[in-house]
Amino acid sequence: MAPRSLAPPPISITPVIHTPDDGSDYDLDGGDDDNIQVDLDYALYDHKHLLTPDRDSFYDPNRLSPVAPTFQINDYSSPSNMTSNSGGLNENASPIDIPSSSNGAPNPFNFQTQVISTSPVKPNVGQRRGHKYKHSSISAQHQIFQEPPPRPPLALPRDLPIPTVKEAWKSMSKDQRRRLYWCICHGVIAISVFLSAHGSLAMTALSHLVLFDVGSALICVAVEVLGNFEVWKRSSIRHPFGLERAEVLAGFALSIFLIFGGFDLVSHNLKHVLEGKGGHSSHHPDPHEGLAPRVPPGDVDMASLAAIIATLVSAYGLRNHARISKVMRVSYLASLPSVLSNPFHFLTLSTSALMVLLPLLFVPISVLLDSTICALVAMAMFALGLRLAIAQGLMLLMSYGGRSGSGSGSPGKNKDVGVADVMREIEAEPGVERVDEAQFWQVHYGLCMANLKLSVAKGADDAALSRLRARVTSLIQNRLGEGYGKGGSLRWEVSLQLGTAGTY
Amino acid sequence: MTEKDSRRIFYFMGVNFTFMGVQAVYGYLTDSLGLLSDSIHMFFDCVALAVGLFASVMSKWPPSERFPYGFGKIETLSGFANGVFLILISLEIMFEGFERLLEGRETKRLRELFIVSTLGLVVNLLGIFAFGSHGHSHGHSHDHGHSHSHGHSHSHKDHDHDCSSHHDHNHSHGHGHAHSHGHDNENMHGIYLHILADTLGSASVIISTVLTYLIPWSGWDPLASFLIAYLILITAIPLVKSSAQRLLLTIPADTEYNLRNTLSEITNQRGVASYSVPKFWVDDGVSSEAGNRILGVIHVAAIRGADLEEVRDRVQSYLGKHGIDLTIQMEREGDTTCWD
Repeated sequence: MAPRSLAPPPISITPVIHTPDDGSDYDLDGGDDDNIQVDLDYALYDHKHLLTPDRDSFYDPNRLSPVAPTFQINDYSSPSNMTSNSGGLNENASPIDIPSSSNGAPNPFNFQTQVISTSPVKPNVGQRRGHKYKHSSISAQHQIFQEPPPRPPLALPRDLPIPTVKEAWKSMSKDQRRRLYWCICHGVIAISVFLSAHGSLAMTALSHLVLFDVGSALICVAVEVLGNFEVWKRSSIRHPFGLERAEVLAGFALSIFLIFGGFDLVSHNLKHVLEGKGGHSSHHPDPHEGLAPRVPPGDVDMASLAAIIATLVSAYGLRNHARISKVMRVSYLASLPSVLSNPFHFLTLSTSALMVLLPLLFVPISVLLDSTICALVAMAMFALGLRLAIAQGLMLLMSYGGRSGSGSGSPGKNKDVGVADVMREIEAEPGVERVDEAQFWQVHYGLCMANLKLSVAKGADDAALSRLRARVTSLIQNRLGEGYGKGGSLRWEVSLQLGTAGTY
Repeated sequence: MTEKDSRRIFYFMGVNFTFMGVQAVYGYLTDSLGLLSDSIHMFFDCVALAVGLFASVMSKWPPSERFPYGFGKIETLSGFANGVFLILISLEIMFEGFERLLEGRETKRLRELFIVSTLGLVVNLLGIFAFGSHGHSHGHSHDHGHSHSHGHSHSHKDHDHDCSSHHDHNHSHGHGHAHSHGHDNENMHGIYLHILADTLGSASVIISTVLTYLIPWSGWDPLASFLIAYLILITAIPLVKSSAQRLLLTIPADTEYNLRNTLSEITNQRGVASYSVPKFWVDDGVSSEAGNRILGVIHVAAIRGADLEEVRDRVQSYLGKHGIDLTIQMEREGDTTCWD
């Protein structure tokens, strides 16, 4: 029974031949399913059976147990596997704990079978039970099994799996799903605006804007859905800040879309102008030239109206563009009411409102007006995209811009404190000799890092250092973080490396 | 190295710009629409090149208070932007091609188109040759970013470590030094792809014009542009992916493996009780020496009775041996003031 590879001396003796009759006896004693275990256990501490020359004698074709063949095959694997698998299901229920005086006992199996039958048998069917050997007398004698050396527990952060689309879909709550459906609706509206343009440049421009809104709304939903997963927020080795930075990156990609849209509109516009001027228009019938205008005067432009509604719903329902606009405040729009103060909503709403109003007011949309609107929108898109790209690019470059310079402006408010001011304040802290290194940077919309190396006065004890740490941490959070009243929360993770002067 | 890169970008931009000017003037004089619209296209190329040039120059700027880690990431950012731009362009071309295929608009003024696109092809081929040697080695930019950091972190380690890491070290050495500048290539890769896309675009126009001339069918042009757009798309996607990973501060897989080993050894340092909130990111530093250094933060708790500073020095020198430069916040075991 002992693994052959180890070849303990007794195996070669072979005094007893195991007969099928023996096996059937045990069967009668044991339960239907447990008999194999009984066999084994018996063999383990009964040397007579250990000495059986070949294991096939154990395998009795007459036995009724369905478990037998698989078990036998599985069980004779290498000893290294056994050690690795020690600590299986049945360890506590193992009958081996019974002293090996069982040699004298006439029939120890009744008792053992009972013990075994209390433990769940079914789940074990496919599993190896090699760990039993570890406790058997023979392995104890020969030191076959060695305990693994004690290791310090690995406190590594777990590697969290990135959810697949399917998992994300499953994890969505009802509310989130509704939002996704709305996004799809918004997308359909964007496409319908695009298709209803019929060569009108202004409408094409509007469709670009709406498409950008859709992209941003989709990001909003995606961020919420991914927030269901641990990998989004939890730090691991692979993703030190979770995946939240992905939102910034997606925003950056969208701003590239905005710039691209601006370029695209400009080039289309130029082409149109050139075509009109070059006198080639005879070759190229322009749909919007002369004949029927896209929307008859006095009528409501349904596509533009739908764009307005979609934008408003997204703005209120999804809080579209909320986080992005916090990064870039446009001062000259700040005085407008809530939705309009967001430059993206402002742009979409004003363009689509213009498109609705012009036919209503019986203003004919001439080629010139059309391309002027398009040019204006293109320029606005370009400028906005550039600002957005810069704001998010700075974050991706691992920097912290602070807010609008240092010290100037309204004194007494937290708002205008820059990094330099905070550094000065930290240096003014009692116990701090100087700031050796300081790195302030923004990870994503909600998190900033501050890594400082400070020189402190000699002789400070643990408690003092701990207090200093708490003070500096709260100072940074208070000065640079946003107050609770302002809606968003910008959290600062502060790490201080303290050392007495001159030890670096 | 990067200066050479930026000079190359600059020269090519000059050529592009001149060509654009010539095209625009000639197009205006001869009233040729094709020339004019191509010069608009050229202008956008120039803008992309200018962004790349800017990034290439800016990546040399030293770290400041505002940018504590320098501008190492800006080239990756520019590569990412270029990649996204290319994807958008190819999608647009596909869409337009589809539209044209449906409408069946016939291509006009074949001769003019042919001349313009041939000239464009010549200029772009010039660019391909200028960036070509670079571009080829950049086909695997993602990989050597890894292998370099790998080799770097091991090169200090192989004295006192087991043979498996030694093996790894040898393995990565072969790659690592051939392309030592793992961090500056996403920008160049992006520009290269952009020029490649333009070249393919001109080539496709030439081929489709010839085909239309031989076999009059309006579908040649959309078909060719569709094909080209697809090619651009599949070359731009890997670029976007790899640069996105770097911008997300994802630790590459093999660096992560080493980091885990290194980290689990920290608790074996004398005086260390535990550590928490380890955060690492790969530094794309200014100097090539510092490239792919690993920076980060860790909070280490020392056992009672150990001198905090001594333990910190020990941990720091241990990590330094593995090419990791951390800000180490020391705490006392059982001190609960630490966040998280």
